[in-house]
Amino acid sequence: MKKYWRIVWNGITPSNPILILAIGLCSVVAVTNSVQNALLMTFVFSFVLIFSEIIISLLRKVIPGDIRVPIFVLVIATFTTIATLLSRAYFNSIYEAIKLYIFLVVVNCIIIGRAEAFSYQNSIVDSIFDGIGMSIGYGWVIIAMAAVREVFGNGTIAGFRVFPASYSPALVMILPPAGFLILGVLVGWLEFTLRKKKVKK
Amino acid sequence: MNKILKLTLILGIIGAISGGALAAVYKVTGPVIRAQDAKTLQVGLSEVFPGDYQFERLNEEFELPDPVVQIDGAYIVKSNKGIVGLVLQVTSPGSQAPIKMLVGTKKDRTVSGVKILESLETPGLGANASNPDYYVDKENKLSFLDQFKGKKISDNFIPKEDVIAITGATITSDAIAKGVKAAGKVTHNYFKEMEGPE
Repeated sequence: MKKYWRIVWNGITPSNPILILAIGLCSVVAVTNSVQNALLMTFVFSFVLIFSEIIISLLRKVIPGDIRVPIFVLVIATFTTIATLLSRAYFNSIYEAIKLYIFLVVVNCIIIGRAEAFSYQNSIVDSIFDGIGMSIGYGWVIIAMAAVREVFGNGTIAGFRVFPASYSPALVMILPPAGFLILGVLVGWLEFTLRKKKVKK
Repeated sequence: MNKILKLTLILGIIGAISGGALAAVYKVTGPVIRAQDAKTLQVGLSEVFPGDYQFERLNEEFELPDPVVQIDGAYIVKSNKGIVGLVLQVTSPGSQAPIKMLVGTKKDRTVSGVKILESLETPGLGANASNPDYYVDKENKLSFLDQFKGKKISDNFIPKEDVIAITGATITSDAIAKGVKAAGKVTHNYFKEMEGPE
């Protein structure tokens, strides 16, 4: 059990896909302009990541090294399309909100990166825990970023007004530059705390 | 040679499995999606032309007044007294992907309403175009799409001139205005032809 917890924890901080591995940043900057979008993106991302990791781990012995990347892309694209079709048919209002990001999931380097670095070499159960850990690690960062950007850029949080209507929003917070700015602050903060911990040890 | 064959075979098998899985999911979800699209269209039609009207699909090719705007469908609006207007489904290129919308025009050459059916504009910016609670004119509580209501179809429809643009979303504002203008031109020609020479 301790081993699984370590795999999950690994995704949350020491190998956080956004803050430490620094991959898949374009979609992070794109979706973090509102908390609702960030939540939905986390949901789609987790679905595609966990299922792709399961399938790739299952097939890892029959996938030859030479063609592993096209197969990863095929598997990821299949699950992304399934997610699109299912959400369109049964959760149309959610689909309306996330359709823009669904396309970003296919090209999300985190998913292909985890397929290559983890599930291609590990068992199914380990891969599921890796998927869960990475999803949490991805989710908390984008939701935190979205909360800051939405509050200052729109005066609301998850659609609820926190600043009075007279507050004139800082439009820059909604635009990509502020996304990178906040991302930079978070990366710095995490690096700082991790290093302090190391020194203590 | 053998190796290439083997790799091709493996890739082919995995591709076939994924294709099969997608086909299975589509078989189940396809009819639901089509039914939903039809419903969205119906709701959209009655939104751009509120009132007790029947909508009848027109099978006619229209001349494109603007090369970037596409006309995807046309619906004649009928009441008990005859034809009262025309709703056009147009596609105009937005900042991320084409914007699909419905433009309703009355026979008196004014816009009755505009509705966005599908768009992938930036959330918080261009996406505000379809948000009924985002006011471009805060004093009169006018949303971006509402401002088109009642405008003459002969207007220029240029953002920042006779159309209020969305802050930070010039491309979206421009795309929608272009779509409305093109639809207006098509409608004008259509009614002119129908009424015949004076």
